[in-house]
Amino acid sequence: MNCRKVRETLFLYADNEMEADLVISFRRHVEICPACAREIERALRLLSLVRQRCHRAPAPERLRQRILVSFPHRKA
Amino acid sequence: MTNTSHEMAPAAGDAQKRGWDFEAAAMPFVDSLYNTAYRMTRNAEDAEDLVQEAYFKAYKYYDKFQVGTNFKAWLFKILKNTFINSYRKQQQQPPTADFAEIEESFEQQISGEANESLPSPEQELLADVLDEDVQRAMDVLPEDYRMAVVLADLEGFSYKEIAEILEAPVGTVMSRLYRGRKMLEKAMLDYARDHGYLRAGEEPAKMRSRKRGSAA
Repeated sequence: MNCRKVRETLFLYADNEMEADLVISFRRHVEICPACAREIERALRLLSLVRQRCHRAPAPERLRQRILVSFPHRKA
Repeated sequence: MTNTSHEMAPAAGDAQKRGWDFEAAAMPFVDSLYNTAYRMTRNAEDAEDLVQEAYFKAYKYYDKFQVGTNFKAWLFKILKNTFINSYRKQQQQPPTADFAEIEESFEQQISGEANESLPSPEQELLADVLDEDVQRAMDVLPEDYRMAVVLADLEGFSYKEIAEILEAPVGTVMSRLYRGRKMLEKAMLDYARDHGYLRAGEEPAKMRSRKRGSAA
């Protein structure tokens, strides 16, 4: 793989969506290319930042109740 | 001679059973659906209505669901379609960051970038981003990109599942994720910079050109 291909497939790698044989040549390039290694680090950091810091909004209890009482099988 | 009431009973019983089955299968996803709805509508009231409507439709079409396929993805597809049909038009676009650079074609984006890296002050900056910066950055992403990013990064769906939910090819999912995440990063950096984390003078020329806020 060259730099271009690595940059193109950065998130594929970070998301564990890359095919096994591509992972090998991806890693082989990254080992000898500090610039691409930094880009991977950047992508991984971004993803973990989003996963850790973007709070998930839980459904309010009233919504759960609203949905349940609307179900026809509960009215029967 | 047939006993009508006797024949009706099993049918009504089936509908009942189907209802309970649906409830048991679908209710565990209410938090995930609500979170996605909230990220898409960006307000609690619309998010609740959207989820309620999606459950109503899913209930109604439950017999169309193919057993053995991905039920969670099926629910999210209904949520997505409900959002597009009922809510998208009402949504007011917020002042968004200027993503023109990133909105260029995927190809151009990649080739322009291949030999550049984010300067290290920016890398450091990302570590100091506030939680609310992440939320705000998510909120200003264009819808299509936001949906892909929320499904991947908050809900943990695979590319294949996202493709199914969005009814788009996997290649489209990949490019939306790529660009959406780049936009997210840029917006977060803009907010962090607004907070003054980045000392004046350290701002690299590449990042200086575009400032958020002109659309307000």
